[in-house]
Amino acid sequence: MDLHRLGIKFFAADADGIDILKLIPIYHRWIQQSALDDMLIDVADYSHVPAGPGVMLIAHEGNYALDETGHERGILYYSKHRLAGELPERFATVARKALRAAELMSGDAELEGALKLPGDRLRLFANDRLVAPNTGEAYAEIEPALKSFLDRLYAGAPYTLEREPDPKERLSVRVQAEGEVALKTLLERLS
Amino acid sequence: MPVDLAREIDVFEGQIELKKQGRIEDKLFAETRLRRGAYGQRYDNGQRHDGITHRSLSFPTQATKGTETLWDGPGMQRIKIPFGGLNPDQMDVLADVAEEYSDAICHITTRQDVQLHYVHIEDTPDVMRRLASAGITTREACGNTVRNVTACPLAGVCRCEAFDTTPYAKAMAYHLLGHTDTQDMGRKFKVAFSGCKTSSCGLTNIHDLGFIAKTWQSNGAIRRGFEVVIGGGLGAVPYDAQLFDATVPEEEILPLAQAVCRVFARLGEKRNRGRARMKFLIEKLGLDEFRRLVIEERKVLPPDPRWTDYLKDVERYREVPARPASNLDLANPDPQFEPWRATNVYAQRQPGYVVATVTLPLGDITSWQMRQLADVARKYVGDNVRTTVEQNLILRWVPEAELPGLYAELKRLDLALEGAGKIEDVVACPGTDTCKLGIAASRGLAAEVHERMVKRQKNGGIEPAVRDLHIKMSGCFNSCGQHHLADIGFYGVSRKIGGATVPHFRVLMGGEWENNGATYGLTIGAVPSKRIPEFIDHVTQRYLAERQQDERFKDYVARIGKKALKQMVDAFSSVPAYAVDRSLYSDWRDPREFTTSDITTGECAGEVVLQVEFDLQAAEQRNFEAQVHLEQGEFQKADEVAYQSMLIAARGLVRTQMWDLSDDPDRIAAEFKTRFYDTQLFQSPDAGQYAGGKFALYLLNRHADKDRQFAADKARHLVEEAQLFIEAAYSCQQRMSEQQARAKVSFGLPAAAEATI
Repeated sequence: MDLHRLGIKFFAADADGIDILKLIPIYHRWIQQSALDDMLIDVADYSHVPAGPGVMLIAHEGNYALDETGHERGILYYSKHRLAGELPERFATVARKALRAAELMSGDAELEGALKLPGDRLRLFANDRLVAPNTGEAYAEIEPALKSFLDRLYAGAPYTLEREPDPKERLSVRVQAEGEVALKTLLERLS
Repeated sequence: MPVDLAREIDVFEGQIELKKQGRIEDKLFAETRLRRGAYGQRYDNGQRHDGITHRSLSFPTQATKGTETLWDGPGMQRIKIPFGGLNPDQMDVLADVAEEYSDAICHITTRQDVQLHYVHIEDTPDVMRRLASAGITTREACGNTVRNVTACPLAGVCRCEAFDTTPYAKAMAYHLLGHTDTQDMGRKFKVAFSGCKTSSCGLTNIHDLGFIAKTWQSNGAIRRGFEVVIGGGLGAVPYDAQLFDATVPEEEILPLAQAVCRVFARLGEKRNRGRARMKFLIEKLGLDEFRRLVIEERKVLPPDPRWTDYLKDVERYREVPARPASNLDLANPDPQFEPWRATNVYAQRQPGYVVATVTLPLGDITSWQMRQLADVARKYVGDNVRTTVEQNLILRWVPEAELPGLYAELKRLDLALEGAGKIEDVVACPGTDTCKLGIAASRGLAAEVHERMVKRQKNGGIEPAVRDLHIKMSGCFNSCGQHHLADIGFYGVSRKIGGATVPHFRVLMGGEWENNGATYGLTIGAVPSKRIPEFIDHVTQRYLAERQQDERFKDYVARIGKKALKQMVDAFSSVPAYAVDRSLYSDWRDPREFTTSDITTGECAGEVVLQVEFDLQAAEQRNFEAQVHLEQGEFQKADEVAYQSMLIAARGLVRTQMWDLSDDPDRIAAEFKTRFYDTQLFQSPDAGQYAGGKFALYLLNRHADKDRQFAADKARHLVEEAQLFIEAAYSCQQRMSEQQARAKVSFGLPAAAEATI
């Protein structure tokens, strides 16, 4: 499947108390410091939209956010351009980018340790209904690559998958692994 | 997908390919994409001030898609929503494309459009195709074209309208879309419909062409028609629309609009972008002369059955509610329901039905919300959804008894915000968030004011007289936020203080939103951006304390006078030194030290590209398609398409002299022969190049070959010949332009007079 628009969201724990406006100066600082590998362009503030994308960091390659969709905050990344490698590697690429941002953000002094990312809950999605509509057939097609990636991410430890049932929504799956895993560990497994 | 929409998008995709091959110049491609709604966005020139220094954005390629616009710089896609009308299927598609190609936000504009931001140019054909599959076009959403035709969102259900303007607005939008008479204008052209004179919904006063519904008795029957106003517009210097004709019968509105467009296209300013809107042409000619020219033009318009065809359906035009009418008679236990109902629900003139407004903070709605709202619409109102110029969505034909259920569903979607049209429902253009012209952060300020007002309403409530006020803000003087029409309006400016730049907003007070935007606010003075919220508090408290009985804010402003207002503004104009308080040296929700150095050339004005240049580009595109047919072994098709490409180029040249040339090949060939071949105009004086009229004969000979026997070799030759013919046409057009320029110089005409030649 020629799927390149992929996304991932690592869910945060007890993050409701974070003042999301604090992300604006953090993202601007990241742009100043070229803190991520992507070519960072600008900050988009949607903090006024309830359960929306929060405050976004727009890059050429994709978008970053402390996303609030479904009133569940989490570090989100999705690609907007072609990704290298086979599908499992493409999943790994977007996950690495999200994890790198998550590591930076959770360690940022401005947030005073309020952002906790246990690493055991995430959502993966295909952001391309033309290539991968939310159907059983499309899911069956990407499932091997998805599991290959998750086996690598969780080093063979068990996890459960729950597919998004609404056919109008994107093809996506919610993943729950057993026990917390440090972001650093997850990153090392994908490096 | 309609065939013509599909074809248009294929052509645009072909133009993207040609641009990548360097076969279209920047200016032409820029106007081409603008006419497809693909607009530039801040930083797409590859430069951005990061708060410390200017940074080059290292996009993968240095290719361009406009004179100062890098290919890889993400842009804005504007999507036309004529009269704001949406159905649930269209909402689904809007949600999906926003999620997949943008940032999962649909932004409703002050002209009932939808905008997506951070879209890559190479994704635009897919975006357009998916929208077209739901009957939405982006064509002529930007550029020097007829922009989205707007109308009262309450049309058809309003209690004070003369009649439903919806079918008229729709007919106007699609009649003018892509019409040959609207392709050669020097600047954008905006049309609006209003059902009455007294409400604000249509805002005809700020439009180039406004239609206000009216009826009258004639021979015992009720006739429908419109009061027509022209030449309104905001921008840096706002102009009130003027009465063109108090009574225009319904069957005359399309030809009248066409005639106005023709006069504007022919005589409007094309060089000085700041004086190119129609309001300046009317000012220059005088209303009476402009009217005379339009009436003369109307007389010579070739008749078009479309002018009246649609009227057969107007009388029958009815919206279909999803559910039967019913009245609400039970109290709702949810304590938030009544406050929402009080501000967001409008009783339709049809008993048992209401309109529910979905208040969108700053006009933004997420993709998920939009899809869910589409399902809610299917359930409660069917196809009856509209966008509003106050950046909200409305659901029409809600059975009143269903309101509690609807409210509960909106609440689940976080879309049950009360206060539609109230002070907390702040309107703002994109400003420095994404606009290349933005000076100050209108959205940052709007979000701040909105959140403060919502909080205040929750904590004890805002006094009704204050809550009824409108606040609107723009990031610069160009008025996209319609600040002139607000009780309290703002537009972004900057001030140098001790060598540093400080974001400010100029304050306007006393504008009138009602009566179709009848009065523009007075400009008072500038206040530092960070002090605006406290300034609003002060002004509204003064108004409450000093108003006489039920005095409206507009009347209060007029009574106390500009001197008192200036004192109010001046009390907030001071800026502490940088060393004392740095916070005023950055803008709302943007901590970077403020600078105006990110402002670049805007694309609002589009590029002035003559119609003949578009025609020649279309000819080249057609020839490219002929080459593809050739490669695929489709010789007859290649031959026919190559011939068509020459006809397109020839027609383009002829229309520089004879605007009303039809598509008939015989007529094109005959006129081309008479005007360009026989006169030797097509032949270059340069020896060797396009000489001898040889290339003109490629068209004339092919045209004369009525019993053509199609063959591979002949097709191959014709494709080559067509390419040479098009090149010669380009050369001819260039020579004509140069000759015209020389003629103007030799006559010593001033720039303002050029357009009248």
